[in-house]
Amino acid sequence: MTPTIRGAAWTFGANVTTDDILPGKYLERCNDEVGQFAMAGIDPTFAARVRPGDIVVAGANFGMGSGRESAPLALKLAGVAAIVAPSYSRIFYRNAINLGLPAVMVDRIDGVLERDEIVISLDERAVINVRTGARFALQNLTGIAREILDAGGIVAFTRARLGQVAVVPETSP
Amino acid sequence: MTLTEKVIARASGVAVVCPGDEVWATADRMIMNDSSGPRRIGPLVAELGGVRDRDKVVIVSDHFIPAANLRHAEILKTTRTWAKSNGIASFFEYEGVLHNLVLEGFLVKPGMLLVGADSHTVTAGAVGAVAVAVGSTELATVVASGQVWLRVPETIRIDLVGKLPALVDMRDVTMQLLGDLGLQHATYRAIEYGGPFTEKLTIEERLVLSNQGIEMGAKNAVVVPSQTVREAMRAVKIDAREAFLLPDADARYLARHTVQVDKLGPLVAAHPSPDNVTAASAVSGIAIDMAWLGSCVGGRLADLRAAASMLRGRKVRVPTLVTPNTADVYRACLADGTLQTLANAGAIVNAPGCGACAGVHMGVAGPSDVVMATATRNFRGRMGSADAQVFLGSAYTVAASAIAGRIIDPRDIGIGGSA
Ligand code: SF4
Repeated sequence: MTPTIRGAAWTFGANVTTDDILPGKYLERCNDEVGQFAMAGIDPTFAARVRPGDIVVAGANFGMGSGRESAPLALKLAGVAAIVAPSYSRIFYRNAINLGLPAVMVDRIDGVLERDEIVISLDERAVINVRTGARFALQNLTGIAREILDAGGIVAFTRARLGQVAVVPETSP
Repeated sequence: MTLTEKVIARASGVAVVCPGDEVWATADRMIMNDSSGPRRIGPLVAELGGVRDRDKVVIVSDHFIPAANLRHAEILKTTRTWAKSNGIASFFEYEGVLHNLVLEGFLVKPGMLLVGADSHTVTAGAVGAVAVAVGSTELATVVASGQVWLRVPETIRIDLVGKLPALVDMRDVTMQLLGDLGLQHATYRAIEYGGPFTEKLTIEERLVLSNQGIEMGAKNAVVVPSQTVREAMRAVKIDAREAFLLPDADARYLARHTVQVDKLGPLVAAHPSPDNVTAASAVSGIAIDMAWLGSCVGGRLADLRAAASMLRGRKVRVPTLVTPNTADVYRACLADGTLQTLANAGAIVNAPGCGACAGVHMGVAGPSDVVMATATRNFRGRMGSADAQVFLGSAYTVAASAIAGRIIDPRDIGIGGSA
């Protein structure tokens, strides 16, 4: 995981569901097809407008509901580099980390406008809004979840754990 | 230790675990469906060295049966082919919903650690197992390595006492809890249900409690097993002694709640959230376009019988779809006349499976449709159109509303007459 992520913010409210992120009608789609439908339940134009490296800034309990991994995968394939939220639904959070998509937890974040430039600094343990200068403390990711994210996802992590040599570093599932 | 702590300790081979500990545990079961399963997991499992223990793997095609289009048919084919070529004996299709089949066939037993790629994996907690949901990629690593990492969760204890009033059922109990505690109350935490009311519950009743735990965000939700679970296992000649774990008397809980179930009335979770709970009488009169009886939590034998008791000798006023959650439930309803009663009332019976629950097929809601359903959740867009509104209730409340053509408290019309 890169220690600093810099990108434009896309803001969403609290309790965004995985049905919002990837509606059920797209469950029939293959993993590599889902990027174009990211956030289709909430904003059908999102996937076409989001730029690689952008950051989703959301309210509490992001990704609740269905455990479909295609939800965080869709965000990742659409180009989202990281998510910032005060809390996540447990399965979504685990899925994001497993896919190597940093889901960063902050105690609070406010005053972020659409497309504000956001810097996530893991070294400084802060999320910074470049426009306002506001800093928000991010919760330290520790333990096995941190090791998985550092490995680039759970497939690469498991390969190392099983003593297998990675031929190509795992970047996407 | 709480029941969840005990199961995790056993599965990770240590004497004691405490909330916050991170452990590597050996999974006793790994479950997946046609959406989350082989199509996504297969290539990763192969990459990681293949299936480690095929006897622990359960695969059920439930989301896309019967295929509504070519993509669905391809997914079913991929699932079937992978299950066969990997020698998975516990593979089922056209048999019903994964979570119900796991319980019906005792593929999960008390004290087991089960990991599944579907949020309602928690349902298996009905028999006192710890059942935790993960995503497809992670399940692939568990299938290949046999192990899963867990952070031991704090446990919330919920005691249920009393006796349910007429026309009030298990779903009203979980709606009351969701209304009181909210969607995030149990996030990252375990729920442990116990108390005198739970002791007499059948497994089919228990599963409503465990299933709806995920709607409170729970990592897992266990119902403390009792004599009824032992007897149900003995009845099908399964050894009930094995790992029949119970919580310690001095277990430490993060919080405790008690629900007096005698005080409950019929409830409705109004659009767009399962915790948006109100008395059925408070939303009475809202016109509906469709009624749906189905899902892992609402298409049980008890649900279809409850609906039939309301519909006997009556007619539905709106399209009413019934999706038994397993083929066994379907056959039982056929044998005891339940299906006849439902069909006479004008309801349509679908193939057992997930059906309309995930907005995939077999009764998807259209724009501005108002649906009254026993589905698991009613988030925006969940059952189809993002402009549809879904209200959740017990089978009594859904059937009564189908008869009235509007949301109604089932006590307002009472049970039906002769067929
Ligand atoms: S019935 Fe609904 S909630 Fe249950 S497993 Fe199927 S889609 Fe999921």
